[in-house]
Amino acid sequence: MMKVALIGNQNSGKTSLFNILTGTNQKVGNWPGVTIERKEGKIKDTDITIVDLPGIYSLSPYTAEEEVSRQYILEEKPDVVINIVDATSIERSLYLTTQLLELDTKVIIALNMADMLEKKQIRIDEQKLSELLHTSIVRISALKQTGIDELIQLIRSQSILENHHQKIYAPRVEDILDYIMRHRGCNRFEAVKIFEKEERYLGYVTDSILYRIDQIEKSYQYDTEQIIANERYNFITHIKNQCVTQPKNVVTITDRLDKILLNKWLAIPIFACIMALIYYLAVGVVGSWTVDLVDGAIHSFSGWVAETLHHLGASSWIISLICDGIIKGVGAVLNFAPQLVILFLCIAILETSGYMSRIAFFLDKVFKKFGLSGKSLIPFIVGSGCSVPGIMTARTVEDEDERAITIVCTPFIPCSAKLPIIAMFAGAFFDQYSGLITVSLYFLAIVIILISSVILKKFFFKGNPSSFISELPEYKLPSIKYVCRDVSEKVIAFIKRAGTVILICSIVVWFLLSFNWKLQYGVNVEDSILASIGNVFAWVFYPMLGEWSWGATVSAIQGLVAKEQVVSSMNIIAGLAEESQDVTALFGSGVFGFFNPASAYAFCMFNLFSAPCFGAIGAMRRELGSTKRMFQAILFQTGLAWILGCLAFGVGSLILHFI
Amino acid sequence: MKHLKKGQKGHLSDLTIGQIARVTGLHNDSRAVRRRLLDMGITTGVEVKVKKIAPLGDPVDIELRGYELCIRRKDMENIDIEVIK
Repeated sequence: MMKVALIGNQNSGKTSLFNILTGTNQKVGNWPGVTIERKEGKIKDTDITIVDLPGIYSLSPYTAEEEVSRQYILEEKPDVVINIVDATSIERSLYLTTQLLELDTKVIIALNMADMLEKKQIRIDEQKLSELLHTSIVRISALKQTGIDELIQLIRSQSILENHHQKIYAPRVEDILDYIMRHRGCNRFEAVKIFEKEERYLGYVTDSILYRIDQIEKSYQYDTEQIIANERYNFITHIKNQCVTQPKNVVTITDRLDKILLNKWLAIPIFACIMALIYYLAVGVVGSWTVDLVDGAIHSFSGWVAETLHHLGASSWIISLICDGIIKGVGAVLNFAPQLVILFLCIAILETSGYMSRIAFFLDKVFKKFGLSGKSLIPFIVGSGCSVPGIMTARTVEDEDERAITIVCTPFIPCSAKLPIIAMFAGAFFDQYSGLITVSLYFLAIVIILISSVILKKFFFKGNPSSFISELPEYKLPSIKYVCRDVSEKVIAFIKRAGTVILICSIVVWFLLSFNWKLQYGVNVEDSILASIGNVFAWVFYPMLGEWSWGATVSAIQGLVAKEQVVSSMNIIAGLAEESQDVTALFGSGVFGFFNPASAYAFCMFNLFSAPCFGAIGAMRRELGSTKRMFQAILFQTGLAWILGCLAFGVGSLILHFI
Repeated sequence: MKHLKKGQKGHLSDLTIGQIARVTGLHNDSRAVRRRLLDMGITTGVEVKVKKIAPLGDPVDIELRGYELCIRRKDMENIDIEVIK
């Protein structure tokens, strides 16, 4: 069975090609580093395995996710490597190609973005390029899906050109490489690595090799690493001059857009407006006219089910389990699906348009001051959808300290599952200001992140100087197809979670609420098992609620399973506590009647900033690499959230006192 | 910041927006950072143009080899250049 690997620079369209070849829907975006782990699939209608690797610029790894690609190519030895080359920035892309051509694996070059060439009036003589590089080339467009069949045919035909191991360096360098190959019995790729004195190959540098390296470094006046890089690029420039013609000094749409979006005075206000608009739209505008609608529908559905079951002769506890437990709990969460569609849509557009890389670019200076990298912002924005992919995206941050701080701070950004909590409290207590309150919580999240990183940097990390080296991609019109697929997938995942995790939790909550420790059914909720558990821990929340509330306590704890469960649980508790089944009764019920705007805001804050759900905690453990650091992180997050919650309640109560 | 004229030597960080220069040397303390810069195409002899500067003055977006690269001023100070334009 054949194994094919897809490799190329970051943002060169590997994942798009992978999706076309396999027919699956992996995440694509327009920022460097969308793919962080390798993904495997089968080319449609064949048994050829294809692997999508994280983007790399060179086979000398610089970040954690680049290491994944390098290891795969060197250790798993695929039969064929498809090297995706972004035809619009061919010079930089071929740098990786020159390294791949030193391996013993066959290489196919897929010249991507063929559709953009015409627009940019770039002409590439593919025939000539293929001759000069001694390798097979297919021109494709992953966007327009052209050239794909030719590519598949070429892979299957096995008529791919063998690597020629062309001598591309100066004769003096080639002599030494020949010597190393003979002396150490290694291949060309390894010989170059030994010549460059790469860390992993230092053990192979013998005195006779070192002598030759010293000699050549003296005559070049710089070290072998630089000699190799220079000569690779010289070779590429030489080839490019023969095969590529492109117009000079064109002002692109990207440049014109950047004049505004990266403008000295406008950039940050525009960014703030865009982010505020997203949440205002999702929670304020759409939320206000969908929540009541969906809520009403669910309420009448619940009534209909109860009546039908009653007619069928079902006993009262079954009706209560289904209506007060399942429908109430799951429905409370499903309520927010329309708002999430808007949120996911906005994030998808941000991701695919290329604006994300700009945000990292212009906020780098601010973030650097607080011990983060501009690239940390990408995990934060991805994290506003879900913390798990957000935490994983932190791999694109090169510096280890900055990456760890980014991982710990990503869950502070309210994810989509926390949105229902915000929307519920904001809608109930802040009425027409609900959009504003929501936006305030997101900006608060950013402030907390900045403060936390200063604290973390000071006490837990050494603080090495770091750097920010990143490609700035061009703006692209988001592909409607990908955006729609991305949004629907995330919404379906949310609905699925409502049908599984939330459903099971709802049943458990209903059970614990309906029975007492003697397992008698139909007890007053105050005497239920859940209430007694909540009463044990209620003191924790007293300072931010001003009330001993077992209901709020147990609901907050359930946030560990899934954050939207907080909303689900509160709804079930309120429903069972009250005889009347009025939908607006949540905060009118005896259990939650004590909430005022101050405690609502404080409780909201605690739920947003305390330990994330188990899924995100698991991701934190994996990415931080140790259970100890994970527990430290959770403790830090929860401690901070508690202090902030108590402070917010204190300040809020003061304000309420004077209004 | 000093203003460099055509033919003058200095560091990449000395350039103002729109200026073009040729790289004459790289000397970074961190081997990893230097390697990354080499990989991204900042080698001796390459022409670079300062294209965009972040609203807060740092990092800087430079154009080279037909694409755009963002880089912090601190790292630009370690790149020697000769101004072409």
